[in-house]
Amino acid sequence: MSHLVHLQVPEGQSLKDVLFERGVEFPCGGLSQCGHCKVRVVEGHVPITQEMEWTLSPAELAAGWRLGCVAEAHGEVTIEVGQWEAAILADDTVIGYERGQGRGAVVDIGTTTLVAQLLDLSNGEVLDVRTSLNPQSVHGADLMSRIDFDLRSPGVLQGLIRKAVGEMLEGWNAAEALLVGNTAMHHLFCGYDVEPLSRVPFETAHGASRVFTSNELGWGGPSARVEFLPCLGGFVGSDILAGLIAVRMLESAPVIALIDIGTNGEIAIGNREAIVCASTAAGPAFEAGRIRMGMRAATGAISAVEVRHGAVRCSVLGGGEPRGLCGSGLVDAVAAALDLNRVRTGGRFTGGEKEFPLAGNVTLAQSDIRELQLAKGAIAAGLRLLGVERAMELYLAGAFGNYVSVRSARRIGLLPELPEKVTPSGNTALQGAKALLLNPTRRAELVEAALTRTTHLSLGSLPGFQDAYVDAMVFPDH
Amino acid sequence: MPELQGLYDAVVNGDQKAAVRLTKEGLDAGVEPMELLSSYMIPAMDEVGRRFECEDYFVPELLLAARAMKGAMELIRPLLTASGAQPAGRVAIGTVKGDLHDIGKNLVASMLEGGGFDVLDLGADVAPEKFVDAVENKKVDLICLSALLTVTMPSMRTTIEALERAGVRDKVKVIVGGAPVTEQFAKDIRADGYGENANSAVALARKLVMAARAA
Repeated sequence: MSHLVHLQVPEGQSLKDVLFERGVEFPCGGLSQCGHCKVRVVEGHVPITQEMEWTLSPAELAAGWRLGCVAEAHGEVTIEVGQWEAAILADDTVIGYERGQGRGAVVDIGTTTLVAQLLDLSNGEVLDVRTSLNPQSVHGADLMSRIDFDLRSPGVLQGLIRKAVGEMLEGWNAAEALLVGNTAMHHLFCGYDVEPLSRVPFETAHGASRVFTSNELGWGGPSARVEFLPCLGGFVGSDILAGLIAVRMLESAPVIALIDIGTNGEIAIGNREAIVCASTAAGPAFEAGRIRMGMRAATGAISAVEVRHGAVRCSVLGGGEPRGLCGSGLVDAVAAALDLNRVRTGGRFTGGEKEFPLAGNVTLAQSDIRELQLAKGAIAAGLRLLGVERAMELYLAGAFGNYVSVRSARRIGLLPELPEKVTPSGNTALQGAKALLLNPTRRAELVEAALTRTTHLSLGSLPGFQDAYVDAMVFPDH
Repeated sequence: MPELQGLYDAVVNGDQKAAVRLTKEGLDAGVEPMELLSSYMIPAMDEVGRRFECEDYFVPELLLAARAMKGAMELIRPLLTASGAQPAGRVAIGTVKGDLHDIGKNLVASMLEGGGFDVLDLGADVAPEKFVDAVENKKVDLICLSALLTVTMPSMRTTIEALERAGVRDKVKVIVGGAPVTEQFAKDIRADGYGENANSAVALARKLVMAARAA
């Protein structure tokens, strides 16, 4: 029996955004090529587009199947998510699956967004999904401002996050919940002192996994086991540990790389022998923060820019009048300006102009390029110092990885030319947590293997970092 | 006589090799080290600062110019010291305790050096006692404190408090800077000034040192 999800698509958001927030993956990066994000519409109206006709069969379309990545919907819809149905049973997976009983939950505690999924332990199906904003956000958007706030007002953030996660799990009757998040989220949830995370070398003595009962967290309902999985080191937390499991780095013979790009970029590179990981502060540019006409990916945002016959062509979410630029649009816009020789490799507009027109009233400002240089320089330097060129394949986790054009990311030097294979992988934190939840007897062994094989490097303290960072701020010469 | 205008261009364009070569040629041809510094290198760093202010230059160009300046200074500094030329002032600079970010600090250090200051670079993650020591034993006129993180800004306050406790606060001027630092914060922690960027830090340093000497 398939499980139906009732969704409310807010004004100005696409169905893709709503699906992504609930943990639906878009394996081809939303290019409507793979069909893996298909959803069956049970109630509500979702029009068929040309892309859907190319990818889905007439029989599928007639049965109500649509492509999640290009679907337009307004208001309320009820859908069935294809990839949640027995995906784990059907796959040649990862680490197999143990038939259990009852229900379990996984929660990805992101700095910005919280995602929880309820799973049927007897068959691995996703029964329900809930998302919400991290309520700590009102006290600072990035990790450092949260840490700063907690040092000045101890306990407030802990109260907020425990309450929010408790509310997400309410009524689910899950016997167990696995929580993943970066080291700051781990400490703020568990109630450890964040002071060691506020200064060099940013290492904590309290990165281990921590088990609670739901009662001791003040949550209602029957008692459940709640475990926050352990951190890998520095700011690199259990979200990346789970990611290693999702991309099978612990079993891989060839070296592979996993990178999660947000305000903090986290990188892990290795194989079944050894893994190195690091985090690097990118700032908010990839989420269009501190960008003059920056906005989130909503109606009116320029989400893609390409060059056709020597001129820029912009795609606007929702198709209407362009109002601003979201993260993927920013990367594309700078790549286009480079292709048209409007920006020098140093980042300055060629003719000394102050802005680059995109569409309508939306322009790219000189200062926007500078913000992007700082952000991409931090990630690119981290990738280089960790030796990304050794990797056979690069997995791009997180929302940004799902939306950004790999070609543009390479053009601006955010991603290296090698490895050639780059795979957008969605929320690998949630995927890995699910794999651990569904394999209770192998869980401890897998977590232990991830911890013992992974070495955390503090990029800032590496002698070559500052030079690599400055070098990586420059755009590649093409 | 070598083409010394090329030295100016080499610094502005961040060409370290050319800057070192032209400095060497100038010195070999008998040009006074002070002349190289004040007629070519300092104006070049002023131009770099001006280009940064008007957004023509960004961090990479600034650092390249600083590297070129540094290369040339290594040839000139010993000669200046030997000739007993008076620096614009003695400065101790460092990124405060708990913070490893030193790009901004390095920039300010190079710009100060370009501005004719004798610069003692204490590095990153510098304990308050080291700044106290610089005042007590190195006779610095000015201390420059850098921090990039909100969470390490309190180390600036601790450093100033350490200077007060050691009884040397009135012997030295203290200026602060770094992305999260503000004018108001500088006032709150009783610093003598706040530099918004590398260029304004040099102007501020000159003003404070001159005022202190006049007093």
